[in-house]
Amino acid sequence: MSCQGQMTQALPPRANPGLYKRNPPIPGEAEAIESARNGDPEAFAKIYNLHKRRVYTLCLRMLGNVSEAEDMTQNAFLHLFRKLDRFRGESAFSTWLHRLTVNLVLMHLRKKGLDLVSLEESVNPSSEDTPRRDFGSRDQVLAGSVDRVTLERALAALPPGYRMVFILHDVEGFEHNEIAAMLDCSIGNSKSQLHKARLRLRELLRNPGLSPQPSACPESAK
Amino acid sequence: MTTPRNIDFDNLKPEEFEHILPDLFATGDGKVSQDPRLKKFLAANPNCAALVSDLETIAETARSLFEPVAEPSDRVWQNIQAKLQEDTALASIDDDYIDPDAPLD
Repeated sequence: MSCQGQMTQALPPRANPGLYKRNPPIPGEAEAIESARNGDPEAFAKIYNLHKRRVYTLCLRMLGNVSEAEDMTQNAFLHLFRKLDRFRGESAFSTWLHRLTVNLVLMHLRKKGLDLVSLEESVNPSSEDTPRRDFGSRDQVLAGSVDRVTLERALAALPPGYRMVFILHDVEGFEHNEIAAMLDCSIGNSKSQLHKARLRLRELLRNPGLSPQPSACPESAK
Repeated sequence: MTTPRNIDFDNLKPEEFEHILPDLFATGDGKVSQDPRLKKFLAANPNCAALVSDLETIAETARSLFEPVAEPSDRVWQNIQAKLQEDTALASIDDDYIDPDAPLD
């Protein structure tokens, strides 16, 4: 892993039509950003209140821990307020903030020793937690039985590496090339890991009692 | 990873399909079930069709998770405020700094 300490400099905000569509400008946000750049404390509070839930939810999903998620939310906003001059308006402000947050979380996880390239190997040294390759029975299709609550629960049971790619792509809307840059891996690796994450989620959703413990799926093969 | 354009979709086998599935999802809008090249194959392989349906359901439901569900405690904002005030105080000290070695006017 080689991109420690690069943060937003390594990944300058880029226009992303998909994300911009999901992050429409918020009324009053531009004025608050301008005022915050001039040190207005009320503007800081307004920006925080507009974005705290989204940033915290992202941290919580990626880290799976309330205390760490709160610390990382605090870090993200402090970094934001200290580096606000670097926001050049080339993407939606919230897109820029999410990218900054993701980079901070990834740095944090790397400091903890999580290798985000060799995702499943680093998180689960044995091959037993890798999704099964069989297609499964067609009489148990998920359509109609999955909602955000059941998916959120299954997501929490995913190994951290799989969870990371799934959140970045399927929830946050980042493209594979962006994820590859963030995780310092190939685009093919990002696609492959996303697919494995979805397969693992499928297993978890089809078998709600399935434990995330390796012994839960002895038939799995790499 | 094999690119979908190298594949003979008319004679696709389930193992090949499984191999190219990540790329099929990554291209276009991710609606593999509506890919006309796969219509015949999916009709002939209902387990593969079920897999595609499930993975599409998961991806679609994931989009609903984009809206935030949780809120940080008040402690987070209090800490941020305190740190920002520290920053301001330190900046003010820097502004007032007088070099003791500078010649007096």
